[in-house]
Amino acid sequence: MSTSTQTPPSTNVPRQGISGAMRSAQARRLFPWVLGLVGLLAALGLQSQLYSGQERTVATIFMFVALAQAWNLIGGFAGYASFGQVAFFGVGGYFTAVAMSHWHFSFWMSLLLSGFVAALFAVIIGIPLLRLKGHYFAIATLGVAEGMREVVTNLTDLTGGGAGITVPTVGNNATTAYLGNDGFYLLFLGLAVLSVIVGGLVARNKFGYALRAINQDEDAAAALGINTTRMKVLTFALSGFITGLVGASYAFQQVTIFPERLFDVDITVLMIIMVIIGGSGTVLGPLLGAVALQFLSEFLRQNFTNLHTFILGAIIIVAVVLLPQGAVNYVREARRTKEFSLLANVRKYRL
Amino acid sequence: MSGFLQATVYGLLQGGLLALVAVGFGLDPFLGMFVSAAVLFVFGYVLQRFLINLVINGPIFITLLLTFGLDLMIVQGMNLVFSADYRSIKTSYASESLAFGGVRVPLGRLLAFALAVAITILLVAVVNRTRTGMSILATGMDRGAARLMGIRARHVYALTFGIAAGLAGMAGAMIGTVGTFNPSAAASFTLMSFVVAVLGGLGNMYGALVGGLVIGLVQAWGGQYLPGTWVNALAFLVLIVVLIFRPTGLVGRAFYASRQEV
Amino acid sequence: MSAVPVLETRGLGRRFGGLQAVSDVTFSVPAGQVLGVIGPNGAGKSTFINLVTGHTKPTEGRVLIDGKDLTGARPWVIAQAGVARTFQIVKPFRGMSVRENVAVGILYGSNGTNIMSKALKAAEEVLEEVGMAGLGDRPPGELSVADARRLEFAKALALRPRLLLLDEVMAGLRHTEIEPSLELIRKLKARGITIIVVEHVMKAILAVSDQVLVLHQGKVLTSGDPRDVLSDPRVIEAYLGHRYAKRREGES
Repeated sequence: MSTSTQTPPSTNVPRQGISGAMRSAQARRLFPWVLGLVGLLAALGLQSQLYSGQERTVATIFMFVALAQAWNLIGGFAGYASFGQVAFFGVGGYFTAVAMSHWHFSFWMSLLLSGFVAALFAVIIGIPLLRLKGHYFAIATLGVAEGMREVVTNLTDLTGGGAGITVPTVGNNATTAYLGNDGFYLLFLGLAVLSVIVGGLVARNKFGYALRAINQDEDAAAALGINTTRMKVLTFALSGFITGLVGASYAFQQVTIFPERLFDVDITVLMIIMVIIGGSGTVLGPLLGAVALQFLSEFLRQNFTNLHTFILGAIIIVAVVLLPQGAVNYVREARRTKEFSLLANVRKYRL
Repeated sequence: MSGFLQATVYGLLQGGLLALVAVGFGLDPFLGMFVSAAVLFVFGYVLQRFLINLVINGPIFITLLLTFGLDLMIVQGMNLVFSADYRSIKTSYASESLAFGGVRVPLGRLLAFALAVAITILLVAVVNRTRTGMSILATGMDRGAARLMGIRARHVYALTFGIAAGLAGMAGAMIGTVGTFNPSAAASFTLMSFVVAVLGGLGNMYGALVGGLVIGLVQAWGGQYLPGTWVNALAFLVLIVVLIFRPTGLVGRAFYASRQEV
Repeated sequence: MSAVPVLETRGLGRRFGGLQAVSDVTFSVPAGQVLGVIGPNGAGKSTFINLVTGHTKPTEGRVLIDGKDLTGARPWVIAQAGVARTFQIVKPFRGMSVRENVAVGILYGSNGTNIMSKALKAAEEVLEEVGMAGLGDRPPGELSVADARRLEFAKALALRPRLLLLDEVMAGLRHTEIEPSLELIRKLKARGITIIVVEHVMKAILAVSDQVLVLHQGKVLTSGDPRDVLSDPRVIEAYLGHRYAKRREGES
């Protein structure tokens, strides 16, 4: 009999009763924000220490942090594993590219609008699809992402089709100066911070309770007054919004974008792996997972160019087998039950 | 059940490449595919029994991720061993066609179709009428109860996965005779097999056949009447529309949509 | 005191493909009463609860709660209208502590609060009411059967409902565990909560019900005073079969 339980976020009540617990729970509530602030300052300080190539790598890490956190909202908290998340990435990216090159919007305007367009898209596909369960939802969303790629490829007049579209960054057509490595570093850092804050707020609030309830037993959640449809669609829209913002930023950074890249299913899979290995349903998990995996991927790419995908695959397998619930959840459970053995962990999920 | 789908990812490619090897040895590919099916069955069985079974009890996407990792390894492995070139399997007869009235029917595809139907029927018969088949169904419906009756769930899962891998291998060989393939094509076949399986509906063995036929028809008609490459988007559109109106696929059983495992 | 019944159904029915699970159920429950609902297995009791609470849409008939037509409304709408239910197979939120499980209802019910700390405190009070005072921090997976049932109770009570539907809460409990549950039901009735108890355990039905409704093959067989209903030969026949009823008739 396997019972996988996460340690509830703000209990562990000490003996001095409820009000005493409230006080130390308050301290515990503030601590992660403090930690986050420290992390942010560290990231800002780091920038001056890095070469431009490294800056780009770290910016990509921030990008994936944001993507992973956004996925975690719908996939981790609410439990609806969207395998088509890259659709929002692509929609955001293409909207920005089109807005900047055809309609001469500034980047910042396009960025904001891209988020809303992606969120609107999420609402439109969410209302019908969030009625599906498990495998069906995953494949349907995957279908949406793949479908969008084809749609974008075929709207050649608007999007340049398979030949790609270029954002104007120099000359009279450029509405916003190219941000450069420094600028993009800060932009992606900002998005990462936004996503972590949103994740943190959702996790600790009434909204997060509803999502976790929906995840664990949707019928029971509905019977307790939770409007499950509204919650799911809202979460999907929020997740889409952030992902759209990231896509828009990516489009500007890359200058020229193509449908196969902006709607690449590998991006979705990567962000899912990051969340799962880090620990889904937590705030720290996707953060750690994104950093660790991107780091690893870069390291392997530079040192084992031929074999890097192969080794990455092997590492994913080992990580998933040893820590199926993700690193953060594993640590929390281990601290609670005092059982640290990895082998015991494997035994929990095996047949 | 989803593991069933997973096996397609490498089975397809392995099968194609192995059939190629078999052709190299002089075997007609339509016979060689049985060899690759057998090899892949063993491979799949071992994989499931000793690796994938380790995470079966967890949430669904753990298994998906594990097989994705395997996918990475195997595709890359094939790239390294067999190189990334496009290949195809040549037969003397596959590109000929029969003529019925004004319609040409390419022989290679006709054979593939016939085989697909035959295998589906065979599989349905085996699953519904043999003891082994029934143990597969039982384990799928209620693992705990099945185990209490003496069914070795680990073995059953491995068996199912092995069958899936073997079938995928045969499919790979067939694809090799009517088109070209290379290791990177694995992803698009996997995607298609997922779409087809879900469109048809899980829990019903005819689902995949139905789904495949529908997608095939849609793509063929789309190719005739739609401009450009809209055809590709069409398959996904069909999937989504079907799922909206029949959330468990065309012929799927609702039972399989949300099961709790023991 | 308004005469509008808390719950009224008119011709309520539900068809699943070829099977008519519930048909033409018409009755009403006045405020503050405890209604027992009995019937052999397959009689449609659980479907009936699902129809009233919105988990299944009726194919015929109407459901009125406090006089308002809420037929086919989604479960959360019904919950917000003051109707709570327990599930026959308990459905705790496994990743949350017992207290947090109860807090969900307080956060999202119509009578609760939006503030986390207040919700957790209120949850603690509900736990005390059902006799689970020290168990707030445990994960639901560690609870005994009786406690798990009580958690279902607590979750439902968190909504501060006017109408409570209990779906076989006594099933599988030992004799010593049944009495505290009955006590709880009496306590809630004393507070003015209308309760519908779907049960197989006859001793419990007799102990707390004001009226009893008997379902058989999806239809209302009879209803009325508990003792009368339980000795009605048709009811005995429905439960124990035609031959037993005939034999009994022969004996008396």
